[in-house]
Amino acid sequence: MVAPKLKICLAASAGGHLSQLLTVADSWNGCDTFSVCTSEVVRSRLAEYGKTYVVGECNRQHPIRVLAVFLRCLTIALRERPDVVISTGAAAGCMQCFLCKALGAKVVWIDSITNVERLSLSGRMVRHIADLFLVQWPELTEKYSNVQFAGNLI
Amino acid sequence: MIFLTVGTQFPFDRLVKGVDAAVDLGCINEEIFAQIGEGGCEPRNFPAVPSLDKESFDECVARADAIISHAGMGSITLAMSQAKPLLVMPRLKQYGEVVNDHQVAIARKFAEAELVLLAEDQQQLLDKIMLLPLFIPKRRIAQPELVSRRVLQFLNELKIT
Repeated sequence: MVAPKLKICLAASAGGHLSQLLTVADSWNGCDTFSVCTSEVVRSRLAEYGKTYVVGECNRQHPIRVLAVFLRCLTIALRERPDVVISTGAAAGCMQCFLCKALGAKVVWIDSITNVERLSLSGRMVRHIADLFLVQWPELTEKYSNVQFAGNLI
Repeated sequence: MIFLTVGTQFPFDRLVKGVDAAVDLGCINEEIFAQIGEGGCEPRNFPAVPSLDKESFDECVARADAIISHAGMGSITLAMSQAKPLLVMPRLKQYGEVVNDHQVAIARKFAEAELVLLAEDQQQLLDKIMLLPLFIPKRRIAQPELVSRRVLQFLNELKIT
């Protein structure tokens, strides 16, 4: 049975992060969803999951852009107040998780398949606040506490 | 036809030059078409374009007998989904090709599982290019439905509490 009344924020950067997130689309079937992504080019792929917010790309090397994306994520979190955030990363997904968590949401994080030997930088931060933290390499469950392996997305 | 692609973001001249040199040395007889990134070094031995829209890109992958690419997850996933023989060369931080060395780890994992061929330097690139026509990749089995079920279980527990 699905949980129809939960409001869920789907957060992922355009590209591999989003492709991986969408492989678990069955899990939020019937829920009230909206999405946060980083580029206009993936808007159409997210259209079926409710309102789409595009916050722009950013990474550690561009602090001003990080701030701009952070403020957009904050506005979205305050406006939407989701019950749950589901994210595969990267930076924008991480910020959305922290902001929504601060406003009372539960956090589901699925670390990207590209993180073989250690978690992503975002994942290492989100691990401390996540309510469900999944990895795609079983070895990582031995290295980190509070992480689970349920399978591979790709 | 061999399709050489460096992904959408940055050029990867070390790979393009390496394949160009492989042609000079007679390691490749097949026709090659390359996507080399904006501002990438132009190969001498085969045609190349900076970028391709998604449709043209998919068409190149579909037409290719084999693919040579950086070890980006996008290229790997696409090649695997169509069971195309793929040779990957990971981008390295030391040459400024990427911000960290995550491509090395993922490429080694997939090469160990015989899903792709791996070249970590120029010599290996020449060796593996010659193996590429004979390489039959294993099929990767992913279980997104198991992950989906775990997430669903979590959401249902939330609804109850």
